[in-house]
Amino acid sequence: MMARLTTWLDERTGFQQVWQAIFLRKIPKVNWFYTLGSATLFVAMNQMITGILLTLYYVPTPDHAYDSVQYITFQLPAGWYIRGLHHWGASAMVVLVVLHMLRVILYGAYKFPREVTWATGVILLLVTIGFGFTGYLLPWDQKAYWATTVGTRIAGAVPFVGDWILRILRGGNDLSAVTLARFFGVHVWVLPSVLLLLMGIHLFLVIRNGISAVPTRKD
Amino acid sequence: MAKESKMNREGFLKGAIVSIVTLIGAALGLPALPYLAGPALQKSGDQEWIRLGPTSKVELGQPTLFKFKVKTQSGWIVDEQELSAYVLSNDGREFVALSNVCTHLGCRVRWIDDEKTFFCPCHNAVFDKDGKVAAGPPPRPLDKFEIKVQDNTLYIKGG
Repeated sequence: MMARLTTWLDERTGFQQVWQAIFLRKIPKVNWFYTLGSATLFVAMNQMITGILLTLYYVPTPDHAYDSVQYITFQLPAGWYIRGLHHWGASAMVVLVVLHMLRVILYGAYKFPREVTWATGVILLLVTIGFGFTGYLLPWDQKAYWATTVGTRIAGAVPFVGDWILRILRGGNDLSAVTLARFFGVHVWVLPSVLLLLMGIHLFLVIRNGISAVPTRKD
Repeated sequence: MAKESKMNREGFLKGAIVSIVTLIGAALGLPALPYLAGPALQKSGDQEWIRLGPTSKVELGQPTLFKFKVKTQSGWIVDEQELSAYVLSNDGREFVALSNVCTHLGCRVRWIDDEKTFFCPCHNAVFDKDGKVAAGPPPRPLDKFEIKVQDNTLYIKGG
């Protein structure tokens, strides 16, 4: 019965070929450092799921942001857990993408034919940092407020265009409701769209080109 | 259970992967359910006795207006609402607390002392001293609060 259903579906979708290409592909003999990319993917999925759950209660306005976060953390069943996963997952993600990048650099895995994979990876690193920067403001507590004040001021130190960048980031001269709203919008709409697109390309290329072997002394 | 000899490397790894994925899925999925349903499961009925004031304030045989505040919490937002009740007593021992909300469309009724009736200005509804409908469109008498007296102080509940 199950086999017939599988055949029926495969005849119409070819999903087994896709499954094989993704999960049953041939790889060279590698070591545990090669799991850092998958680990990043796993944490990214964790961030998506917990992030979606958080938006069900979080409200990005100055008069509700802090209270809604407190409500999630202390009133909702398992709210502390969902928020905790998102909070610590964010730190873990930054650590993992950096380690993943170091592995690619040290093993020379960015070389031909994998330059495009590398380039998308670099942008993905920046996107991850953007997630961290925008997400940090959302709890709207003292730490968030002042960290973003400082962070945007650093961006403002750029010669010539600094002041302009600072005003764009804050949506005005000071941190305000506008800042919170745009950080939220970027955090839940802009960056996830970019992330999903680039992750799709990145993973497609990993599968298409195969992964690089551990370099030998001769390389 | 399969014998150990029948378990090869691939089978073991497949089993391990399925178990770990199931475990992680449960760790993420199971807490999500109460998280999502939490506010819906919260009971709204747990009301407390609200202190109205001293029994001596009630004039015998005449509805006396008391104002009180009720806190309602929805999510992280706490609202304070000012409500009123008419307390009536004929003998100073038995007390009745009537809501001043008209049962027709929710306007506030007020006691007209000259006519000894409650009057609702919205659609000319009239209730008698005990809250029964005397004239106009209301479908039922004025609502009553649960009331108790403790140390010569009035407390009400419900509404």
